[in-house]
Amino acid sequence: MSDIIRRDPRAEWIVRNRLHPLHLSLVKSQQGDVRGPSGLLRKNVRDVGFIGPNGIKRIDRANLLTVDTTTRRSASKDTQTARPLHVVEQADFYIMVVADMVGGRLTAHDKDLLGQAHRLVVQYSDVNSQCCGAVALVCFGQIKDDQLGLSGVDRLFHLEDTVYDGFSPEARLGALQQIESQYQPLHWLFPDSVHGGADLACRFSARIGERLAAHVWQLDREQCLSRGASGSMDIKRATPRIVTLLEECADPIEDTQHQALPMVLEPMAVPSARLKEKGQMAVDASAVPLAEAEFILSAGNGIHNWAQFHATATALGATEGASRVAVDEGFMPRARQVGASGTWVTARVYVAVGISGAIQHMQGIGQCDKVIAINTDAGCDMVKRADLAVIADSDALLMALASLVEQHQLAKHAEQIHGENSNAA
Amino acid sequence: MMLDWLPPTLIGVLLVLAGVGAIRRINLWRAGQAEEVAILAGLMAMPTRYLHDLHHVVDRDKYISRTHVATGGGFVLAMALIVLVHVFGVNNTLLAWALMAALVMMFCGALFVFKRRLNPPSRLSKGPWMRLPKSLLTFSVTFFVLTLPAAGILPDGTGRWVFTLVLSALILLSLSEVLLGMTWGGPMKHAFAGALHLAFHRRSERFGGGRSTGLKPVLFSDNDAVNKVHGVAKPSDFKWNQLLGFDACVQCGRCEAVCPAFAAGQPLNPKKLIQDMVVGFAGGSDAQYAGSPYPDGKGGVQEVGYAKGGADQIITDGLIHPDTLWSCTTCRACVEECPMMIEHVDAIVDMRRFLTLEKGDTPNKGAQVLENIIATDNPNGHSPESRTYWAADQNLALMKDVKKAEVLFWVSDGAFDMRSQRILRAFVTLLKAAKVDVAILGDEERDSGDVARRLGDDATFQSLAKRNLATLSQYRFSTLVTTDPHAFHCLKNEYGDFGSTALDGVEVLHHTTFLNRLVKEGRLRLDTFKGGKVTYHDPCYLGRYNGEYEAPRELLASLGIDIAEMERSAFRSRCCGGGGGAPITDIPGERRIADMRMEDVVSTGAEMVAVGCQQCTAMLEGVVEPRPVVKDIAEILVGQLVEEVH
Amino acid sequence: MQPNVNVVSLVSIGRHPQSGRARRAEQDGRAVELGLKLVQDKLTLLHAGNAHETVLRQYAGMGLDGFTVLPQGEGDDAVPVLVAYFKANRQHHSRQIVLTGVNAESGESSGMLPYLLAEQLGWPIVPRIADIVRVDEFEAEVLLALPRGQRRVVTVSLPFIASVDSAAQEPRQSAFARGLRATLTTLDYGSRVDDAVSHWQVAPAKPKPKRLKVVKAKTAADRMKAATAKPVGGGGKVLRNESVEEQAQAIFDLLLEEKVIR
Ligand SMILES: Cc1cc2nc3c(=O)[nH]c(=O)nc-3n(C[C@H](O)[C@H](O)[C@H](O)COP(=O)(O)OP(=O)(O)OC[C@H]3O[C@@H](n4cnc5c(N)ncnc54)[C@H](O)[C@@H]3O)c2cc1C
Ligand code: SF4
Ligand code: SF4
Repeated sequence: MSDIIRRDPRAEWIVRNRLHPLHLSLVKSQQGDVRGPSGLLRKNVRDVGFIGPNGIKRIDRANLLTVDTTTRRSASKDTQTARPLHVVEQADFYIMVVADMVGGRLTAHDKDLLGQAHRLVVQYSDVNSQCCGAVALVCFGQIKDDQLGLSGVDRLFHLEDTVYDGFSPEARLGALQQIESQYQPLHWLFPDSVHGGADLACRFSARIGERLAAHVWQLDREQCLSRGASGSMDIKRATPRIVTLLEECADPIEDTQHQALPMVLEPMAVPSARLKEKGQMAVDASAVPLAEAEFILSAGNGIHNWAQFHATATALGATEGASRVAVDEGFMPRARQVGASGTWVTARVYVAVGISGAIQHMQGIGQCDKVIAINTDAGCDMVKRADLAVIADSDALLMALASLVEQHQLAKHAEQIHGENSNAA
Repeated sequence: MMLDWLPPTLIGVLLVLAGVGAIRRINLWRAGQAEEVAILAGLMAMPTRYLHDLHHVVDRDKYISRTHVATGGGFVLAMALIVLVHVFGVNNTLLAWALMAALVMMFCGALFVFKRRLNPPSRLSKGPWMRLPKSLLTFSVTFFVLTLPAAGILPDGTGRWVFTLVLSALILLSLSEVLLGMTWGGPMKHAFAGALHLAFHRRSERFGGGRSTGLKPVLFSDNDAVNKVHGVAKPSDFKWNQLLGFDACVQCGRCEAVCPAFAAGQPLNPKKLIQDMVVGFAGGSDAQYAGSPYPDGKGGVQEVGYAKGGADQIITDGLIHPDTLWSCTTCRACVEECPMMIEHVDAIVDMRRFLTLEKGDTPNKGAQVLENIIATDNPNGHSPESRTYWAADQNLALMKDVKKAEVLFWVSDGAFDMRSQRILRAFVTLLKAAKVDVAILGDEERDSGDVARRLGDDATFQSLAKRNLATLSQYRFSTLVTTDPHAFHCLKNEYGDFGSTALDGVEVLHHTTFLNRLVKEGRLRLDTFKGGKVTYHDPCYLGRYNGEYEAPRELLASLGIDIAEMERSAFRSRCCGGGGGAPITDIPGERRIADMRMEDVVSTGAEMVAVGCQQCTAMLEGVVEPRPVVKDIAEILVGQLVEEVH
Repeated sequence: MQPNVNVVSLVSIGRHPQSGRARRAEQDGRAVELGLKLVQDKLTLLHAGNAHETVLRQYAGMGLDGFTVLPQGEGDDAVPVLVAYFKANRQHHSRQIVLTGVNAESGESSGMLPYLLAEQLGWPIVPRIADIVRVDEFEAEVLLALPRGQRRVVTVSLPFIASVDSAAQEPRQSAFARGLRATLTTLDYGSRVDDAVSHWQVAPAKPKPKRLKVVKAKTAADRMKAATAKPVGGGGKVLRNESVEEQAQAIFDLLLEEKVIR
């Protein structure tokens, strides 16, 4: 979601007008928290409330006025009103999208699938212009996303029940079967993901006995192109009813909004679960095996304050890595060595602190997407390889970075509390 | 009481006992596997091998070589004469005088042995070896006195029975050491086993100035697959003459002194390894071992006395920790220094073969590297189709297209590595400047198999060798040149075992040798080098494995460089740590071999170290900066190349 | 671990991503490794396909005396024979665990095989496991691999099929000579051609276009900004003279953008 900051001329005018009844509260919300010299949060006790229209000071204890009057309004909210509504009165056919909904929100992958689903709807409607199809989203568990309509959901099968909580593929499969028998959708689109999409697709395909096309990255109503042989081949074939789609298979919906009408399912029998979830194991970032880590903070010969390095890694929630020199010197365990004679990592983001970038080290980070270098030597190979390099002393920089993270966490925490408060209100 | 009969009887009995011991010892060796040896020819050649080859090695330490000539020569002579004079009672004053002279010579030698033992360097074993000079001195004095009557200096029957008894006791003492010890396992065993080892050496090509460094292939065949164990699991899996070789060790510790892995504190000591082999085939524990133990990799040492073995027990189950075997860089420094011509590297690779082929237990990155080599013909798993990417702008002929060329440039796996590519490009530039008719195999080339072989995977080595030979046999060329001494060694010394004629009549050369010829022929015009001080590091696989010490030096000299030699250079060069798959198995030590070698470089005050190997370049450049610059000789030459203007 | 549980690791012929040559498949190797952990050399190594494929010996070289092949032709469907095999052996092994990889490295790589097998045998399937921590009388406790090294604990009733994720224990080295000696057992359960495949057009993978960051700017100023601003981290940005705070901020922003800080 784009977060372009838009001007709010009215709010700006209020800020300029010191006599406006909302002046104080607005200014306050802009200033944010004020910290005293000792770093403690200070509260100006005289700064509460505002002068009401009749000149009497009012205190808005219910927080009614402060909520929506910030100068910041996100562009997305703006477009909410601007986008035309796509209405499907009566759906003649359905394209089902079974969403991953990680954390109750549509993932980027889910949104790509919704985009793909609408392209299919258009293709089917072209042939038969009277006919009108709907993109239906199937999702399980709590929904925290309030923008389903903006992402292209015409109809919504929301299955919220304790049987669908957590890892519950068997119950979910049951629901899909029910939808299948009630609505006979034209296509079922699943995200080809590790979040359960691919698993559910395979289960569904095996259950109803229809072959699916997996790892599809191009799809129209006639044909689809899928990756086979561990991504080395393209298989072109007739589009089957069930497909699992790779990320970025199509563009997400951005110009329209949709009804997201809830659909009802007839009651169904929940199959007895042979798989039972016993909960998630808490695996600490520092305990994640290097090869699996997504975000690595790696230390080399240019680290002089090890306590600070470890503290920063913890604050960032990063997995620790090291160059051979750091390991040889005994500062880091061998299992943390990155490189030719250590681990070949696959992290998306790799931060190399005080590592010169010897070829043997570089071999180990060949698959990293984004490399950030922190080094005092602008000419070293790591800086050349990095997507972002800062020429600075590791000590000072890690300190600054750690404090940024701390602020960020505090702010997030405050926001959460605020969010809960406003929910309660 | 007349006790005159006593000394001769004693000597006779001890001789017989020694004979019994010899048979027992020989039987221990015979537990090993059969191996064809020219018995008679070997025995005949033994004296020359001793006087020429062995002495040549011993002579690197003048002190000990003179000592050994005096002591050993004196002893052998004395022993022969003792048999004549005292056992058979040949009554000849001349003989007696000769015997006494021999004994005096031996006495003098033994005095020097004694002197060295007063404050022995750490590489020497202690224990019974500390006793040896005393026994030798006793021996010479005793028999000197015993011979006095025979020489007519003292009348016969001199002294009373007490005197004879004392003499007999001394005879018993000293002869037990020198005779019984020889065959029943004392320090003098080296003389007996050593002599036979020289006669039946597994690499007879080594003698008389020859060189034999290629490993012997493992035999794979379909029908013996069921029971045959590949590589050496138990001492009895060694060839019999290998076992004999282990027995020849004098525990001089020269190997220990030069071993880079030992110096780096990795858990390897070649001397102890050989002694453990002896413990293995003779059975028992290493409790008797009185030399330096294996380091423990953390700055301490492994305690001695817990290693146990037997001829039919798996060596890595209790006798030797696999890490010991994997620490070796196969640099051959030990073999080069060993006065007894023992083949440490053969033994180590034999045992590695068992670990890799039978147990699937190559440590660290070993398994992955082998898997890559199998699936992609290169150790890092690059696409075989990308082998020639480095040469995209080099305009090199491909053998596939030209079918024949004067020179085939064997590129080796440096093709995949950006640093090594600089060396390759430099060499190509030189070839072009000299207008050499050259071609490369391109994507048809495969890893030479060096790493796979040193890691014990002879199956993969052989598969690569055969496929490479098949490719080579399609083309015609008179010279094969490579910048990689490891590939050079394989192609030159190890590919011959596979019955291919592909390399018949082909001269296989290292690039320094080839470039040196070009320079001498005046085909390369070079400026004098004006940089700072330069030293040269001899790559093990070029120097000790192939005897090429001169060409690189001549090349540097042709640039006007006066090499600041390191203390350990040429045949004594210290390994960079990059051979034998050691960087892959990466057994922890106290420090890194490359760091030590870089210290050697730094101590010459050189600003640049010239090398002739991409692996050495990688290892030495892996040392953290600041340090001298590392450059391949081809790179240095290119910097001085005078471009001809037409 | 319980010795009277029968563990079968299903293996396929892998494909090296660089050379395209046959190899021991990554995940299948892990399935064998996990099987060896559970029952050591009592593990059954099963392949449906060409019995003379040498890669099979690489699996056996991990420590098995033998392996079983259900001979199949090139384009045959492995599912029916495997179903037949397990149905035939069902009575012996009610306490059975079948391990496979998640996706094959060659062919369609749809990952359907374990699902089809499970469906037709009526067994549960556990996807993407990292480990099996406990097996008792009626059920097993398994760890599911989640992204970012996280794990989920699930119990599953026996018999079951599990696909082994790349997060599971790396396969041990294969000992060449051991594989060489392993005995091959072939069992005939017929074969059936996979018809659908003949209608496919197969070609080497085309590079997938990477999505560009489209900035949908609504105002001229925004468009200007989008056109001129250098995205953070795009193509080797070097911050040399900024203050440490600014530098830290730049890194922080990139970390946020990459969503590794939450
Ligand atoms: C066979 C072989 C295998 C190897 N395998 C590996 C391997 O797997 N992994 C590996 O990492 N290495 C490996 N190496 C070692 C490698 O060659 C390098 O020696 C090593 O990576 C260097 O580590 P480094 O970058 O931490 O140290 P250096 O090279 O010393 O680099 C330190 C860096 O820190 C910077 N710096 C110094 N002070 C500060 C400061 N205060 N703030 C910020 N920056 C500072 C310096 O500018 C320099 O760039 C291998 C080498 C060999 C020969
Ligand atoms: S070859 Fe080199 S590393 Fe190996 S034991 Fe001998 S001296 Fe040591
Ligand atoms: S192996 Fe050779 S060099 Fe080493 S101690 Fe024995 S005799 Fe000396």
